[in-house]
Amino acid sequence: MEEKRSQTHSSNPNPKSNTRMKQGRNKKKHEFEYCTVCKLNHDQGPSHKYVRRHTKSLSTFLSRFQSKLSDVLFFLKNPTPLRLEHASRTRLWCVFCDADIDERDSSFACGNAINHLASAEHLKNLKHFLWKYGGGMDCVDKFRILEADFTKWEKKCKSLKSEAVSGGPMPGPSNDIHNKLEYGIIDTFENNSSSSFSNGVMPLLYHTNEYQVSHSGLPQVANVGRFPQDVTTSSSINSKGLTVSSQRSLTSNGRKGSLDDHFNSESMSEVYQQGRMTKGQSSSQGFQNLAQISSKDSKESSGNVHTGALPPWFAADEEIQLSIPLQPVSGTLVSMSNKLGKSKKLNPKRVGAAWAERRKREMEMEQRGEIVKSDYDANWLPNFGGVWQSGCRKETRKEFELEKDTVVKVESQSEMPVKIQPYVSKRMH
Amino acid sequence: MSYLLTTLTTKQEVDSIIRSTIDKVLVLRFGRASDSVCLLLDDVLAKSARDVSKFATVALVDIDSDDVQVYVKYFDITLIPSTIFFFNAHHMKMDSGTADHSKWVGAFRAKQDFVDVVEAIFRGAMKGKLIVSCPLPPERIPKYQLYYKDV
Repeated sequence: MEEKRSQTHSSNPNPKSNTRMKQGRNKKKHEFEYCTVCKLNHDQGPSHKYVRRHTKSLSTFLSRFQSKLSDVLFFLKNPTPLRLEHASRTRLWCVFCDADIDERDSSFACGNAINHLASAEHLKNLKHFLWKYGGGMDCVDKFRILEADFTKWEKKCKSLKSEAVSGGPMPGPSNDIHNKLEYGIIDTFENNSSSSFSNGVMPLLYHTNEYQVSHSGLPQVANVGRFPQDVTTSSSINSKGLTVSSQRSLTSNGRKGSLDDHFNSESMSEVYQQGRMTKGQSSSQGFQNLAQISSKDSKESSGNVHTGALPPWFAADEEIQLSIPLQPVSGTLVSMSNKLGKSKKLNPKRVGAAWAERRKREMEMEQRGEIVKSDYDANWLPNFGGVWQSGCRKETRKEFELEKDTVVKVESQSEMPVKIQPYVSKRMH
Repeated sequence: MSYLLTTLTTKQEVDSIIRSTIDKVLVLRFGRASDSVCLLLDDVLAKSARDVSKFATVALVDIDSDDVQVYVKYFDITLIPSTIFFFNAHHMKMDSGTADHSKWVGAFRAKQDFVDVVEAIFRGAMKGKLIVSCPLPPERIPKYQLYYKDV
């Protein structure tokens, strides 16, 4: 690809190589060349980059690549050791260098990509690309990694490596998702105070990950074998725990299949029966054991870790935080602009059609960097129809806002006059 | 499972995803990653998110985050996992024979169930309907009980 590009370049200034007929008809005709941004061959020469269609597709092209880079930037901020099984999966296609960067031999997540983005070769190619296809030299820093950031990252990596050597295998603080989940589950089951149950339930949960099942199958089989005995012998287990376990085997019907090798069907049926007996009437098939949550009051948040105030480190790099949820934005925009023709075919009476059209225009303007005035602010709430909603849906929102206001008022009123005093009996006086 | 999908923790993120999903169904799962039923649901969502990606976007909302409490209250979420559907920033209801039409409570039994539900919602929304009836047979719909406090 690179060769092709340079070839076409060298032939650009001298259009003499064109056929004479063409030359005679139009002197400005250039040789055909391929524009990787528009994905088409054109003969407009260097002026092609000013064509409206090209600038449009260039902006989507760059934003798409930037959304891919957001992952890399995340790992630049907080380097994490890369697991071997993930290494082959992550790869990055650098559109500027036309090179595929895979992570086979790097020990940190996106290590090779970071190395590449910081390299001088990449900068050269990037500058060439921007010169050739337009886009402004001011966005060079968006698509490469600065020297300072790179050295910081290298330092962090070194310290992580030394930690790994001293602190035993796999220090990975946040990387170990399986263990984290496991702990969470054990926590919830500890309430039932029956450890044998959490053992019995485990294998089904493991099923979301084939790797775990195939490697840690044997010890769990032993547990499973013991499981029905526990049910039958220990009558002191509260009925709540029992419903939990039997529900788990019911709801995960679909996955049970491959576990059947371990379970013998007799013990399964025993479990089912036990569950039915204690559960009584609540054993309808679709029933799931749903956790109930208590609503917290967001008004209390003023400045503590426990009350959930905005941590100072979020305030500093808010843009990076924002780039993660904004990813689908660019995705939808790209698809929108790619098939503009399709939107005309959409039913004009579909839900929120007017809103969609308006919002699409707004987003296009936002992407071009213009400031759009809209009715959006921090208190914006989407349209929602409540359970008891009747009439217009706006009423749900109005009611909610009204309730919120009254709650705030009541709180502020009630907090003021209450003073805690020791109880003094009135009969004494 | 929650690490496979976008997880939203602030109201601003939820706002932006609702406002930027155009002509697609937005599936918002309210729950917590450590809950066992949430794990089942997240598994189904993560596996089918790609299949429905042409007409739906799936995102998770962490209800433990203090920043989204306003949404937890606004959407009246008392049981987790609760799944809420949007189309062009309009809330889509589904009549599934349960107490609450405004959200799907509980996990889906299978990938296909989820795909069917999202498709029904998308087709309804494209016809201009704000409420659709559930395409699933009643035995595949999780049952639950709502207790009303101030009614």
